[in-house]
Amino acid sequence: MSLHYTLSVVQAPKVKLNSTEPMTSQTEGSLCRSDQSAALWADMARWFGPEVRSILDKIKAVTFQEVEELRLRVGQPLLVRTSDQDLFLNSEGEITNPNKAYFVKREDLVCALERMTHSSVYAVEEDLRQGFLTLPGGNRVGVTGEAILQHGKIQTLKHISSLNLRIARDILGRGLKILPLLLGADGTFGHTLLISPPRAGKTTLLRDLIRLISNGVPQLGLVGLTVGVVDERGELAGMWQGVPTYNLGYRTDVLDGCPKASGMNMMVRSMAPQVIAMDELGHSDDVTALMDALRTGVRILSTAHASSLEEAQNRPTLAHLLEQGVFERLVVLSRKNGPGTVEGVYDLKTGRIL
Amino acid sequence: MLIMGCVALIAGCGSLGLWLASRIRRRPAELRACLMALALLDTEIVWGVTPLPEAFGIVKERTDLPWQKFFAELQERLERGESAGTAWKETILSQNVNFCLKQQDWQVIGDVGHGLGRSDSQEQHKQLELVQHQLALIKDQAGVWSEKQAKMWSYLGFLCGIAGVLILI
Repeated sequence: MSLHYTLSVVQAPKVKLNSTEPMTSQTEGSLCRSDQSAALWADMARWFGPEVRSILDKIKAVTFQEVEELRLRVGQPLLVRTSDQDLFLNSEGEITNPNKAYFVKREDLVCALERMTHSSVYAVEEDLRQGFLTLPGGNRVGVTGEAILQHGKIQTLKHISSLNLRIARDILGRGLKILPLLLGADGTFGHTLLISPPRAGKTTLLRDLIRLISNGVPQLGLVGLTVGVVDERGELAGMWQGVPTYNLGYRTDVLDGCPKASGMNMMVRSMAPQVIAMDELGHSDDVTALMDALRTGVRILSTAHASSLEEAQNRPTLAHLLEQGVFERLVVLSRKNGPGTVEGVYDLKTGRIL
Repeated sequence: MLIMGCVALIAGCGSLGLWLASRIRRRPAELRACLMALALLDTEIVWGVTPLPEAFGIVKERTDLPWQKFFAELQERLERGESAGTAWKETILSQNVNFCLKQQDWQVIGDVGHGLGRSDSQEQHKQLELVQHQLALIKDQAGVWSEKQAKMWSYLGFLCGIAGVLILI
């Protein structure tokens, strides 16, 4: 929880310091920023075993705010990914070439997994089956290893070989730019699908939109709507023991960790939402449940993996939804100018680009 | 004066014997409490899918001293980021002075720590079940043994006192 708090605080200094300011305040600003970065690195380091932790504690060359991913692969160098670079770290926390970097050992992964699950692997079994863990603060950790099958279904993962810690960002205000385009002629919110390739800021934008819709935006004439969030992967609200990490608005109910298909039904029946929001539509069960939910008159706000409208039309599950004309608006995101770049907003009823 | 000394000696030895006897009687009770706690932990893991720090917190609330302190320390250690295996081992080392259990009991209880929280709930259940089974056997044996021993020590204390008095007189 502390993580989220500090994260949202750090978003502010991204704005460039005013050049008319005296030099002292600039240096103070950068000092403050590096302090914050060190604090955030230390906060992140607690999820790892002693060796990786000491590396992360010593990092000076990369500020935490730039980092998008932290990757650990058995027998491979420790890798930090920023929006445009892959940086290898040595045991002193300095950037170096891959051959001189710190090579991740199996114990590092075991230790990290133990810390990330609070020594309770059984408690995240369901998530592990899908190949990820969610940390408090909404950061998601991708996991690969050897899959154990039973009756053709993944039972669990063993011999974990890679971890990918993806740092969740909470960027306020981006949703406000595209929200007007998502409203129909009568000012009501239309069924919307956000698509993008991975790491392009879908979840962040979705979170922002949920908050805006839930709180209402008086300048757009949008009154607050009751939003039901089916947070299958625990990423949208960043729930930790029943308390959401992210602010999703005044009128938002969160169903945490529930499969989307059954979650949608539960929400409609029990919480009477006006809008249902969910992340990463893709399974055929989700689509069936979504069609059911549509009959009850709720609005749908969702995301899916696809880099363009054409690609979405080629994915069988999405194609079905698009052919049926379920969605009224389609937002395409990319990483062209950094994560969260809006490529275009389509009106699917008329086929126009808004 | 002499009589007072005799009475003091007998009372001293007698109370020492009674204290030893009470310690011996506490062992089966502690084993029973441990079994209860492990059953609770098992339920939390298998049915509640509760993460260990929280599960230890629940077990702590529902057990009495000295197990309450034992699980409180475990919870604290896990929240500090220790792994469950080492936390279990270290807690046994730091807490065993508060218990009347024998080395052999701790060996069985120590087995819980091996692989605790490292596998899926079915495997955790099997492991805990095995330990519970072993502990139940020990508890049954301890019940019979401790009853005899406790009785012996409570008499022996007074008898030693009397013997001492006779020798000294």
